Amino acid sequence: MTSVKQKKKMSRAAREENRWGLAFVASPFIGFLIFMAFPIVFAFVASLTKWNGINNMLDNFIGFENYIKLLTDEKFWKVLGNTIIYMIGIPIGMILGLVIAVGMNRKIRGIKVLRTLYYVPVVSSLVAVAILWMWVFNYDYGLFNSIIKALTGMKGPNWLGDEFWVKVSMIIFMVWKGLGSSIILYLAGLQNIPRDYYEAASIDGATGFGLFRHITIPLVSPVTFYLLITGLIGGFQVFVEVLVMVPTGGLDYSAATVVFYLYEKAFSSRQMGYGSAMAFILAIIIFIITAINFKAQNKWVKDLD
Amino acid sequence: MKFKKMTSALLAAVLLGTTALTGCGSGNDSVAEDGRKNLKVFLYLNDHESEIYKEMINKFQEEHSDTIANIDLQITTQDEYETTLTGMMTAGDMPDVFYVGPNAVEQYVENGYIENLTPYLEEMNISTDGLMQNIVDSYRYDGEKTGSGDVYALPKDSSVFAYAYNKDLFDEAGLEYPDPENPYTYDEFVEVCKKLTKDTDGDGEIDQWGAGFANAFMLYQFIWSNGASFTSDDYKTITIDTPEFKEALQKYVDLTLVHKVTPTVEQDASLGVYQRWLSGQEAFYACGTWDVAAFMDKETFPYNWDLCTFPTLSTGKSMTWLGTVGYCVSSSSENKAEAVELINYLSTDADGQREVSGITTGNSIQIPNITELAEGEFIEAINNGTLKYPSNVNVIFDYMNGTDKVDGRFMETNYTPNAEWSDIFFAGVDKVKNGSMSVDDFIAEIQPQMQEALDNAWDSVS
Repeated sequence: MTSVKQKKKMSRAAREENRWGLAFVASPFIGFLIFMAFPIVFAFVASLTKWNGINNMLDNFIGFENYIKLLTDEKFWKVLGNTIIYMIGIPIGMILGLVIAVGMNRKIRGIKVLRTLYYVPVVSSLVAVAILWMWVFNYDYGLFNSIIKALTGMKGPNWLGDEFWVKVSMIIFMVWKGLGSSIILYLAGLQNIPRDYYEAASIDGATGFGLFRHITIPLVSPVTFYLLITGLIGGFQVFVEVLVMVPTGGLDYSAATVVFYLYEKAFSSRQMGYGSAMAFILAIIIFIITAINFKAQNKWVKDLD
Repeated sequence: MKFKKMTSALLAAVLLGTTALTGCGSGNDSVAEDGRKNLKVFLYLNDHESEIYKEMINKFQEEHSDTIANIDLQITTQDEYETTLTGMMTAGDMPDVFYVGPNAVEQYVENGYIENLTPYLEEMNISTDGLMQNIVDSYRYDGEKTGSGDVYALPKDSSVFAYAYNKDLFDEAGLEYPDPENPYTYDEFVEVCKKLTKDTDGDGEIDQWGAGFANAFMLYQFIWSNGASFTSDDYKTITIDTPEFKEALQKYVDLTLVHKVTPTVEQDASLGVYQRWLSGQEAFYACGTWDVAAFMDKETFPYNWDLCTFPTLSTGKSMTWLGTVGYCVSSSSENKAEAVELINYLSTDADGQREVSGITTGNSIQIPNITELAEGEFIEAINNGTLKYPSNVNVIFDYMNGTDKVDGRFMETNYTPNAEWSDIFFAGVDKVKNGSMSVDDFIAEIQPQMQEALDNAWDSVS
């Protein structure tokens, strides 16, 4: 009670401090309004119109027509399917990341160099490494097909030109690109696990894989959870990789993702309204999946405390 | 204490200021303090063009320093141009001068973005008669359709996508050069290509081909020469299921699948047909008017070459596509008269045209917009060797002006609100070219999708 009363009778100094506080808060808040809230509202309004970037948006109001059309748009389902297929890379990346992190979580010579090396792809420009990988995947001259030819004498697949292999290529690339950050995060997670857990378990007779299975995996589950969430959110937004490596979207759009299609619709085909509707559907999908993840985390994410 | 306060005030101000600044652009700056005008120009240009155009614009500014204070030239890439322009349109902050293609004239006019140039040209006594007429016509709009009526843009350039052959490979094979005035029939073309397709290093694999075809640019020639078209004449219906279209597509893929005179789809994926032409692996390839300077440069293309015509199908007429982009003036510009003067200069100034067409520089990136210049000085400069150009330059003009054996036209996408329907076709056509799908199956599968996209495109502007 007393504290409430005190608040009412704020001293001058306190009020002044409050004002300063507000001034500082205003900056990010106004920034949020201009750069987040406004575009979101704008995009939502646009998604209800036949706006094409040239015509007047509000004169072309069509209600939820774009959304209805989208649900029957075969191409949309196709790119959504592609986007989800690419997510096969998320568990692969997590498993590889954890295994490599466990391997690096010990004192060996040159470990810092090794850790840095694995992190290089993460800090490299996405466009630059994507171009590099285009050459790795090249049909005649690429690294992969040269190795395949040397080993088997046969020609390898047309990595980026085939409807199936282009997806494999993209997954390989994305796993490679993201591996460094999962290793770093897992390493941090591993170093948080107290040694005595392992010692205690050893005394009880647990060995190698058992320790890993029953101590390591549960105790790095917060990291796994974080990687899963960020992986899924990022996975739904894959765009640059496709734009650089298969700028046409691949044979029969086999490599295109939702954001790639959205971009083409909005900016190449000038169907801004339709593109905005797609962005909204995508946002809703991401929101639902993230919400499910947070709900489900109690079931498997263990806390150290 | 005071110091602390001041620092925090400063910090807060800076934070707020930067937030606000990023949000909005600058205010009205179309008139300088001394009353002279400022112009804002937004174009896409490649590096080579930028240099020339910057110089031209500087020259214009100097010559008009009594009325014009500054010309702010913003240059972007072709890929980013549309996106940026859309942003400008949305923000209502249009440059005074920008580009429009024939396909967008109607939409830009109907939505009030570009100014009718005809009254200005009449008042300034500027005639467009000296320009390539079919190109100027593509920027006319009469309130219902493009092609006739008042002029809404002046051409920056007009381009032709001609055919070319590598003379050295013909010499090597002991073959006669193609006749630029008498196009090969399809069968003749196949025969010649077969003689030029070989394994030069004896490793059992073909490494030189008769020709290379980039689908998105080099299928049209076959379709049109067979009397077919991607769409109906009103550009509303997809017409790829006609026998003529199917036959043309079949003959096009047969070059790869049956006659094997082009790189396969896989080979094309590892090294593009354009790169293969540059490294002398293909006897025939296409040459746009913008490619000439590059192909004449021995460092880029160390072979002797010349222009020729695309092979013909059932109509007997060799066809290719033309391209153009034009300068327009924003209808929200406050300096329209000055802007019209500038675009007239850029489009038709003889010195400028000498520069870009290479009459003065020796390197050509476009043909002159002015007919007289094109037929006169341009040809002379080629003939006396000061302008590096292949000797069959007439191929370009034949395609541009049309003869009984050769003709040029705009792609169907030039007349539709967007090109998504065409992208769908070209995204899948490799399935036919690599033999995994028949022409009939492909067309049956793809036509409804294309029609839907085309319907959507028209719907998006209705």
